[in-house]
Amino acid sequence: MMIDRRLFQEIDWILIGLVLLLSFLGVFFIYSSSHFLATSYYLRQLIWVGVSLVAVFIVIAVDYKFLVSFSIYLYFLIVAVLAGTLFFVRLIAGTKSWVRFGIFQIQPSEMAKVVLILVFARLFAEYKGRYLNTQSGGLALLTAAVPLVLIMLQPDLGTALTFVAIVGGALILAGLKKKTILILLVLSLIMGVGGWNFGLKGYQKRRLTTLLNPREDPRGAGYQINQSKIAIGSGGLAGKGFMKGSQSQLRFLPARHTDFIFSVIGEEFGFLGVFIIILLYFLLLARMFLSVAKARDRAGVYIIFMASMLIAFQFLINILMIIGLFPVTGVPLPFLSYGGSSLISNYIACGLILNVKMRRFANV
Amino acid sequence: MPGDKIYEDLSVVVRRANTVFYVVAVLVFLTLSYYWKVQIMDYKKFWDLAEANRTRTRVLSAPRGLVRDRRGVILADNKASFKVSLVRENLKKGTASYAPISALLGITEEELRSRVERYKNVPLFEPVVIKDGLEPEEIAPIEARRLEFPELDIAAEPKRSYPGKILAAHVLGYLQERTPEEVRDNEDWGLRLGDMGGRAGIERQYDALLTGQDGSVLEIVDSLGRKRGDKATQMPTPGRDVRLSIDARLQAKAEELLGDREGAVVALDPSTGEILVLASSPTFDPNRFITRFTPEEWLKLINDPSSPLENRAIRGLYAPGSIFKVIMALAGLDLGYVTDQTTVYCNGSIEIYGTRRVCWFPAGHGSMNLPNAIKNSCNIYFYSLGRQMGIDPITRAAEQMGLGRITGLDIPGEKEGLVPGSDWKLKTQKTPWFPGETISVAIGQGQLQVTPLQLAAMTAMIANRGVPTEPHLLLDAAGRRAHAARRPASPPPFKRSTFESVIQGMWMSVNDGGTGQGARVEGLNACGKTGSTQVVSRERAEMLARAGKPIKTHSWFTGFAPRDNPRIVVTVLIEFGGGGGAIAGPVAGQIFSLWKDLQTK
Repeated sequence: MMIDRRLFQEIDWILIGLVLLLSFLGVFFIYSSSHFLATSYYLRQLIWVGVSLVAVFIVIAVDYKFLVSFSIYLYFLIVAVLAGTLFFVRLIAGTKSWVRFGIFQIQPSEMAKVVLILVFARLFAEYKGRYLNTQSGGLALLTAAVPLVLIMLQPDLGTALTFVAIVGGALILAGLKKKTILILLVLSLIMGVGGWNFGLKGYQKRRLTTLLNPREDPRGAGYQINQSKIAIGSGGLAGKGFMKGSQSQLRFLPARHTDFIFSVIGEEFGFLGVFIIILLYFLLLARMFLSVAKARDRAGVYIIFMASMLIAFQFLINILMIIGLFPVTGVPLPFLSYGGSSLISNYIACGLILNVKMRRFANV
Repeated sequence: MPGDKIYEDLSVVVRRANTVFYVVAVLVFLTLSYYWKVQIMDYKKFWDLAEANRTRTRVLSAPRGLVRDRRGVILADNKASFKVSLVRENLKKGTASYAPISALLGITEEELRSRVERYKNVPLFEPVVIKDGLEPEEIAPIEARRLEFPELDIAAEPKRSYPGKILAAHVLGYLQERTPEEVRDNEDWGLRLGDMGGRAGIERQYDALLTGQDGSVLEIVDSLGRKRGDKATQMPTPGRDVRLSIDARLQAKAEELLGDREGAVVALDPSTGEILVLASSPTFDPNRFITRFTPEEWLKLINDPSSPLENRAIRGLYAPGSIFKVIMALAGLDLGYVTDQTTVYCNGSIEIYGTRRVCWFPAGHGSMNLPNAIKNSCNIYFYSLGRQMGIDPITRAAEQMGLGRITGLDIPGEKEGLVPGSDWKLKTQKTPWFPGETISVAIGQGQLQVTPLQLAAMTAMIANRGVPTEPHLLLDAAGRRAHAARRPASPPPFKRSTFESVIQGMWMSVNDGGTGQGARVEGLNACGKTGSTQVVSRERAEMLARAGKPIKTHSWFTGFAPRDNPRIVVTVLIEFGGGGGAIAGPVAGQIFSLWKDLQTK
């Protein structure tokens, strides 16, 4: 399937530009925070950006309507892969969530997010009621629950958490009555209490309690939050300068080039750096969310909104997490953190938005 | 747009989506505000935390001040000592590495294990000292295998060293690790746990002078505590040097003369009070306190019945014996009980208060005046003088000559001894003084107790014709005369002629065939007095004497030289040495002789 000239002109180049700008800034900070390590993470990330761009062009080449109608098969495929990885894939970094391709590894759970967006678009595309009814809500929750449980079993709490953005986004869009909100709150409360007592592992509980009191265990679970906050706070207004952050260069900061990349920015470029990055994000999110109005159909609205929610949610969770306002859950900063799977899935999410947007007039 | 009804009405969902975006926008703004608070308002706090994170202070030990003798010979020095520390986080194979490490350092594995165990609460990147006090030769084989043992850290620091080993050990004292209380109470000194502090002698007396101010290096470290560079260095300030009045040559001679006998030698300059010799035997090697004792060595040292750590010169309490007769003579003459020419006939024994008392010379000295009684140390003369005087003038005279209180020597631990008297006895024993006791005191026995240093100070006072002297060891510290301001001399307690008469007797004792002739040095004109102190009771001593058995006595000699313008006082005590004339006198003579040789050189 080729994209014809007319469609090509409709591609939102500003959105792609913002994403690429953030990605290159990411490479820049990955270099600063890992140049002293043996592996050239910044080079790898550059390759990933290239791979992701290719993925985006593949995604936008196919009409989203086809993707939506085809999504049910993708859904069963990804559930099968998730179940398979649980049993067969070798252990990496304590989680069983990686599939290897040569030196690069892909997390199926990241792909599950994209698939879920498409499946939900299909589910809600024909739903025209003013508010969500129990039947549709129940079906949506059930659809999300199967891959979610598999991901939580891996266990990959961070990715599982981003499902909340997709599911929540879809439900909000479908319309929630006050009664439904109340039921959801009670349900999540029960899930929360149940999860705390039966579901969460010791280290996960520790991360939550640490959030409330990081000084309780400065060398253990509170270490990351403390060091990250010190890094950000000591950056001040203008920062310590590129590759001059003592917290990151002297390795006090954990996961510098992955989840805590924004701490490096805060330390080396200060509040000004933080402000600029957040501003860029804000522009990107505005561009994404406000594209909703450009969607041709209901499925398109859902896709754009859920994809935007996915990016916004990860962004907020990450910048809250590294400054100690949210538990350390392993949610990377989209486009900036090192990591191929996360980069590809977020690029694909953008690709879906582009896809919907460029086909707003297409009457195929 | 044509066929607009193809498009369904999406306004509701679009509105909802926009609302959510506004919520997101508000959240982003709130988050940014929090970053403002952390980065701009709390900047200082986090900056300080980041600084503390990356810097570690490593202490540079300050060397202690040197201790020199009066001619500049170094008595207490510093030398580089090496210590090997274990950085536990660098242990490659955990506790499995203990065996090769202990083999390399020549310690047992249990020793290593227990040492590491003691520091288990210290962060893993902090080095734990596992062996110290190593010589450069000992460190070479460890240094050579450094690459194999990345967990070992070798550091040099100045350590106290006493090049003369036992020389003047009791004067110098020794160092031991400071107690936690000491470290806490002297915060402004910047002391640390593990620092060595003076525990005895000069090391303790002038600890504050000798202790330097430790320096420090602010090291930049990474999260694993690995050093990445230096930031600021504060060089240590060495302790101030101290110069002592000790003459190392005389001191060494005195220690050699004492040999393995138990005893003490004190020599001082009577005109200034400067101590030239302060020797005590048996002695110890203060270097052993630095390199740490093995437990057996330490137990042996503290349980040794001859107490090698005890400084007999200032802490040994002995009866002065016949040396006390010079005080008797001074008081008797001055108070008019006798004159130079008053004679007493000695036939070897006398009966006083119903008890027969003997002279040390059973055949009797015959008719004696006072100088001759001093020369021959005749007991009979002083028994009768004591009977005449009674205890109170004797007590007063002894106190006037400096007995019964410390001389004020500038090292800690001096004992004050005891001068018995009627008041003292009433107070401590609730019984009145018996006249018979006076007779024992008259020849320096009974409850009288003095230190060798007290007798040296007393002799100096006689040599000065009544001007007291304040014995001291510190000549100067860091170029300053410490004893420049002398205490205003109190007026002599007795007339000058009184002193001259007693000195005549002491001169005859040494130079005219008296008991002190062993101390005679050709051309030096020394004056002296011997003493032999009965260690057993008088009754038992007489019993032994009748049985013809040898009586063990402490052997004393004290004297000064030359007779006019005296420059040196020498006091010798040898425990269980025997007669003072035969044993202590020649020791003093050799010191006089060496001193004279050194003067003419």
